[in-house]
Amino acid sequence: MKRLAFALLAVVSLFAMPAIAQEGHPLKGSWLGTWAGNKIHGNDVLLVMTWDGKNITGTINPGTDNLVIRNASLNPEGWLVHLEADAKDKAGQPLTYTIDGKIENLPLASRIVAGTWKDSRGNTGTFRIGRQ
Amino acid sequence: MTLRVLRAFGFVAALVIPSALLVAHHEPLAKFDDKKPIRIRGVVSLVDWRNPHAHIFVNVASADKVNNWAVELESPIDLEANGWSRTTLQPGDKVAVQGIAARDNSRQVWATTVVTSAGREIFTVNTAPPPLPLQPHPAPTWPDGQPRLGSVAGGVQGYWAFPSATALVEAGVNAPMDEWGLLRNIADAPKVAPMQPWALKLYKERQERFLKDDPMYLNCKPPGGPRQFQMSYGLQFVEDRVRQRIFVLIGSGNNNYRIIYTDGRSHQGQVGGDDDNPLFYGRAVGKWDNGTLVMDTRGFNEDFWFTNGGLPHTDQLTLIEKLSRPNFDTLKYDLTVDDPGAYTRPWSASWTLRWVAGKEMPRHLCQENRS
Repeated sequence: MKRLAFALLAVVSLFAMPAIAQEGHPLKGSWLGTWAGNKIHGNDVLLVMTWDGKNITGTINPGTDNLVIRNASLNPEGWLVHLEADAKDKAGQPLTYTIDGKIENLPLASRIVAGTWKDSRGNTGTFRIGRQ
Repeated sequence: MTLRVLRAFGFVAALVIPSALLVAHHEPLAKFDDKKPIRIRGVVSLVDWRNPHAHIFVNVASADKVNNWAVELESPIDLEANGWSRTTLQPGDKVAVQGIAARDNSRQVWATTVVTSAGREIFTVNTAPPPLPLQPHPAPTWPDGQPRLGSVAGGVQGYWAFPSATALVEAGVNAPMDEWGLLRNIADAPKVAPMQPWALKLYKERQERFLKDDPMYLNCKPPGGPRQFQMSYGLQFVEDRVRQRIFVLIGSGNNNYRIIYTDGRSHQGQVGGDDDNPLFYGRAVGKWDNGTLVMDTRGFNEDFWFTNGGLPHTDQLTLIEKLSRPNFDTLKYDLTVDDPGAYTRPWSASWTLRWVAGKEMPRHLCQENRS
């Protein structure tokens, strides 16, 4: 059910948010992609991030999982991205996600963040999202 | 190519390059490498006379084959203003071209000189502003004494152009750039404006890519923010006093316009039905203060570069713009940039524009040559 809901959300998001230029803070916007091998929250992932001038904030899988992003950072030297988010598994037990990646194709509106995800239980995999 | 031929076709590139680069519609160095001089000779096969840049196509013969080269010129607007036309050259004419080669080594040349087989140099462009009168003329005023920003009905028509600065730099900073905001020395980048670290890095990367990612250049995005006062094809004001608004008609981009409301309305809910979406030109409200129009503009989107040169901005951008007309021929533009999303503090800049009397503002459509 969750997978279906995510798929619907992703489809709606694609139509609702056309791929427009985004020349401001490089992380701001909606991002769609995968955190490969994530058996708890599914292979597909959607992030919405914003920038208030001091902090990067946002949500992972808004509308379904609603994982609040915390401790987010962007190091301009290398355009290195670090994100964390607290979550719960299907049994309601807490876990924490840590995502580290790098922005690719920075000049493009359709830029990519590629790297790895891991959770507090030792699960890990590749992470790749593209700005919509 | 022999020395005699070179002499016949003119060795004036060094003199012409600076002025040619000054008037280009977009940064030529985004596409061409000024460290790769090139000369070609051949026969014109086609003249493509369209904005943003005219092209001539030239068949260049070598020992065993003929290659067709694209020679990029200034815009038809600039060329026609200097007396050239689409019929200056015809297919079959022989030409020699000096210029700089494409960075990607494709068969393209940014022309600095084009010389016919008769030795006539063509497609030259003079970028000098009109001369100022010896004694400044007073600015025209409305009956209530406020200066008029636009033309006077029944009087000499014209528009504003020739900005004294064409890229945004904090007042008092010395950071030499070319006409399109490309720094002569990238080490000057931190001086240009008080950027946050991410904005500085992004600015430097845009500079290091010769501004080739400029969305105005790539996608014909409007020149919002102060950039509309930096464009080579100028702008006009239409002061609608009955409806209490001022239209700014922009001669570049895609002939867009901006509205400055002077009727006391607020930024929020300014235009019915637009849901306060962020805009390329933001939402401007203005009021007159002793002969100066003071504008507060906010509500910008992040889909464009707000200045030549690629300084970043965010949707937190607020501009305080002041327009005055100290004399008939001069428009003064003062700006304070406040964008806590991209800068560490508010900062200011100012420049002037010149009145171009007796001429219509050029109608330049960015998308004309992109279909």
